Amino acid sequence: MKRFSIWKLTLKVVVIILILTLMVGPLVGIVLWSFARRWYWPSPIPQEFTLRFWHDVFAQGRVLDSLILSVTVALITVALSLALSLPAAYGFARYKLPIERILLILFLMPQAFPQLPVFINLASIFGRIGLKGNMWGIILAHTMASLVFSLWIITATFKAIPVELEQAAQNLGASRLKVFWTITFPLAVPGLIAGSIFVFLWSMGEFTAAFFIGAPFIQTAPVLMYTASMGYNMQIASVISIILIIPSLLFMILIERYLKAEYISGLGG
Amino acid sequence: MEEKIKSPMGFILILPALSVLGLLYVFPLIRAIWSSFYDRAGNFTLGNYAKVFELYTRDIVYSVAMTAATVGVVLVISIAIASYLRFRDWKFLDYMYRLPLFIPFLIVGHAMRIFLAPHGTLNALLTRIIGVEELPGISGSWTGLLFSFVWVMTPFATLIILGAFKALEPAYVEAAQNLGASKLRIIFDILIPLSGPSIMVATILTFVRTISSLTIPLMVGPNKPNMITIDMMFRVNYFNDWGVANSLGVISYLIVMVLAIYYLRYMVAERGGIKG
Repeated sequence: MKRFSIWKLTLKVVVIILILTLMVGPLVGIVLWSFARRWYWPSPIPQEFTLRFWHDVFAQGRVLDSLILSVTVALITVALSLALSLPAAYGFARYKLPIERILLILFLMPQAFPQLPVFINLASIFGRIGLKGNMWGIILAHTMASLVFSLWIITATFKAIPVELEQAAQNLGASRLKVFWTITFPLAVPGLIAGSIFVFLWSMGEFTAAFFIGAPFIQTAPVLMYTASMGYNMQIASVISIILIIPSLLFMILIERYLKAEYISGLGG
Repeated sequence: MEEKIKSPMGFILILPALSVLGLLYVFPLIRAIWSSFYDRAGNFTLGNYAKVFELYTRDIVYSVAMTAATVGVVLVISIAIASYLRFRDWKFLDYMYRLPLFIPFLIVGHAMRIFLAPHGTLNALLTRIIGVEELPGISGSWTGLLFSFVWVMTPFATLIILGAFKALEPAYVEAAQNLGASKLRIIFDILIPLSGPSIMVATILTFVRTISSLTIPLMVGPNKPNMITIDMMFRVNYFNDWGVANSLGVISYLIVMVLAIYYLRYMVAERGGIKG
């Protein structure tokens, strides 16, 4: 019984334009700025376009170094975070634990309270033991902060695997370790990949810990972007922004079935 | 009902992660609280708190008000989007509301600076539509900050609430529809009341994430008044004054305390938010 109505169509077009302006609009500016040589008000687009800044970012020492540093930090963080949360998640999913309530509270606390005081005190502690201004200081902070959300993603993955599968294998005489590596682990791989990508993206975009702990010697890509944006170097800031946004957007589209709110409550920052 | 293995092995598996959390989270946390009560010379004092209330009372009130406003607007928008998507499948809206989900907050801050500036991209569009020469920009004011906060926080809250709406037994909604209830009544009398805990979790996490955000106010916020996260950063970076910074940190903990305890109790009862 659908009737064509010009009013309904107009309304829909207006709503779509409004949503696009509000949601995509903020991102259009950075794309334009990244290609702008000259852009003066009131021109809606830059007067002159250039690829110079994209070229600079990949050729120039400082920006490229910061990107390489960010990727290195993120990759090591993923490895450490996975190595810690894989056994812990299996423990939470399969074992009856002593002081379980306290353990759960501890591993949930970082989501429930502001992180900033912890990061600045971590920076001060690291300052005394030589981890400030050091890549490993940032990696340790990122490992701690990402541990919490990778743990809950992987715990959920393990819980989704039926215990009966493991029990059947054990009844046939396989050891617990063998059951884990041949049955549980392969079934958990998609969840582990999702968790790893979460951690990677979070670490790549993290500013607060990287800013306080990296200072004064090293700058990750977000910290350099902040410096550039504050110094009104809009082009360089925008190029770094786009490089950091593209993987996030791709992931958002690809990850649909892992999009459960409680997993990602640690993201942002 | 799954049976769980009783063995000390479980605790051993958790031990490495627990040690990292203890050393890198719990220890700095305790140190933050501890050092908020000591002056530079190492003597016990309440002076840091006195200084906080002397210098930053206005900022504390502003932070709480800003956060409460953000939570309010986010809840209205996210319940509206979740309700719409509960009844209608509109792929466009589904992707659009989730767009900001994984974009780092700092980048959002930079994008908003360009978007909301007096000569920014939004005004370039608006001045043409309205046909005027100039419009004031809202970056660097509380409205710009509110807009940016709402922009980044809404997808996450919507995701939680939509998840709850979709998990509800469809029979409730169908029964009400058969009895002739309007969509609006179904939303207010069935969907929202039955999703209470999820809406509460969305509220709490939005509140905590907003009040603890450093990057967004750093990029778009006004210079005065400031969010308390900015005050903490200035105290450390410009005055090397850890006592006052940590007192502000403790106050931010106290502000979220009631909400955090509700959240922890709820999540522990749900075993980390994952039923099973």
